Amino acid sequence: MATTVMIVDDSLFMRKMLRDILEEEGYQITAEASDGEEAVAKYRECRPDLTTLDIVMPNKTGIEALQEIMAFDPAARVVMCSAIGQESLTQAAAQAGAKAFILKPFNPELVSRVLKEAAEG
Amino acid sequence: MDMSQYKNLFLSESREYLRTISEQVVALEQSPSEKGAIDSLFRGAHSLKGMAASMEYGDVVVVAHSMEDLMVRVREGGLPFGAGVADLLLEGVDLIEALLNDVEADQTAGRPLGDFAQRLAEYTQDPPQKREDPAQPAPDPATEPAKGGAEAEKVKEPAGEASGTVRVKTELLDHLINLTGELVTNKHRLLNIGREVGSPALNDAVSETGKLLRALHDEVMKVRLMPFEAICDRFQRSVRTLAKKSGKELQFELEGREIGLDRGTLEQLVDPLNHILRNAVDHGMEGSAERLAAGKPAKGVVRLSVARDRDRILITVRDDGRGMDPQQMTEAAIRKGVITPEEAELLSPRQALMLACIPGFSTAKEVTDVSGRGVGMDAVNAAIQKLGGSLGIESEPGRGSTFTLRLPMTIAIIHALIVQCGPVKGAVPVTAVHRTVELNRRQIETVGKRQMFQLDGETVPLLSLNRILGLPLGRFPNGILPLFVTEAKGRRVGIVVDRLLGQHELFVKPLGRPLSKLAGLAGGATLGDGEIVTILDLADLL
Repeated sequence: MATTVMIVDDSLFMRKMLRDILEEEGYQITAEASDGEEAVAKYRECRPDLTTLDIVMPNKTGIEALQEIMAFDPAARVVMCSAIGQESLTQAAAQAGAKAFILKPFNPELVSRVLKEAAEG
Repeated sequence: MDMSQYKNLFLSESREYLRTISEQVVALEQSPSEKGAIDSLFRGAHSLKGMAASMEYGDVVVVAHSMEDLMVRVREGGLPFGAGVADLLLEGVDLIEALLNDVEADQTAGRPLGDFAQRLAEYTQDPPQKREDPAQPAPDPATEPAKGGAEAEKVKEPAGEASGTVRVKTELLDHLINLTGELVTNKHRLLNIGREVGSPALNDAVSETGKLLRALHDEVMKVRLMPFEAICDRFQRSVRTLAKKSGKELQFELEGREIGLDRGTLEQLVDPLNHILRNAVDHGMEGSAERLAAGKPAKGVVRLSVARDRDRILITVRDDGRGMDPQQMTEAAIRKGVITPEEAELLSPRQALMLACIPGFSTAKEVTDVSGRGVGMDAVNAAIQKLGGSLGIESEPGRGSTFTLRLPMTIAIIHALIVQCGPVKGAVPVTAVHRTVELNRRQIETVGKRQMFQLDGETVPLLSLNRILGLPLGRFPNGILPLFVTEAKGRRVGIVVDRLLGQHELFVKPLGRPLSKLAGLAGGATLGDGEIVTILDLADLL
């Protein structure tokens, strides 16, 4: 069975790009959310194998959403998406239980490698 | 990764962010400490930067990045949000808008950014020299909003004109179509009342309402249209992957990306089309060696094209592969017990090809991991029929196959022929009805066990809808049988009913469980008088 993924990003463009990269790799995208609040709600609903979480988002930042998802499901595998220059935020995310990080702009090979490791490790 | 496919999305979303930024700047000038607006400005610039970086539009990245940095200083560095910051942000919006227009026009020459980034980085406070009247005292919060507002207005207008789009949730569109549908049903109620009370004024008003509703319906349906392009890329990817996997050389062509389809239809099309494409690549297409031996170019061609044919959409998948042999199909069907040899004799070559759509039928000699056992053209056919469409297969052995999907433009409001069979009122979409006939009993010919009649020089079999529905057969005391002519598995058939009640505009509602599980029912609808009709799925029934 394909690994299920939820993609969280406030930008439709970014979601679409990530979806295309992941679908190409054989992942099954079961949900998309465009803000932190929606991410938490949808996570509870569909319990994806993997979640990609943008950090800068309205209605709860990625970090806040991550904390809530981890509290609900300590085994959650969440990969944070961040831009260069957000080092302090990535530290907070790692402490909150993020499994890995992918950097924007997305490099398809790198994204698929990081996701694969997060899914297996 | 080919980024050009994301260009339109990038442009429309970027312009939305620009509009948000302009609005937030104005809002902040009214109440400079509004944290929500500050956050939103920061996010807007941040997202723009990220998107532009993905598209590798360096100039947009530079401008958006300086705007983001400026907002970080406002948010965390204590820089007050004043007219100076507002001016710079709006200047940035203008600059990015111009850059986006260049991108849209494929202008690659580049545009001087001047010292914009530097001015933002060095900005510390509102420069008094920017005031129109040097004698005026430093920024007065009371007079600021008016100026900022006017400027923002100036910026917003071209931005709004250039993009002219808003994104709405699909649920909202569904509500709109639902309400429109209910209004149509209600119009028929009013028409009935109008007839009862016999008021010409009321009739006039209702008929005018009808026209307006028709216009409203058309507009709402247009809003729901999305270009086929929205799902194209998935096919491109899957065909490429499949070809790679099966080691076949082929070229995939797409035509008619710009054709608009109902959003609901579009979503339902992905799987069936993927299935057909898979079959084409996996089973239809030969390997290069086989192609060369057959005198064909080594590289096969699979073409997916979309076209509009009046109120219908035509989608075809054509391959120049080995094609399908009706004879082989028929033999396989007999072998598998799908049809009897007697039935096989009655099949035309076109009907024989349609055997592919019978559950449990597959001619694939070998099972591949891609389209394996569940080759499932039956599932494809069922999905297309659910959308109110039909599937046709044409093929020439050695030359290739063509799968044609005919789909209605809209699915929610349809014109249907209402028929009466015993106590049941049924509706048949007029798109499925070739014509209606009132047949004199004497014109019926009996061939073996079957009843036929002549229509335009062709012998057409007769079936009774009552019998199909398991209802007592109608009696026709005056010897006239009402019937409608439709097509089943590529052949015309006459369907006899008790009465033809006329054409009606219906708002189709899906059936809930358990009714949705019943074969032959495509949905339900309410007539103007509140009576319920079932919409018949003829292809399923016949």
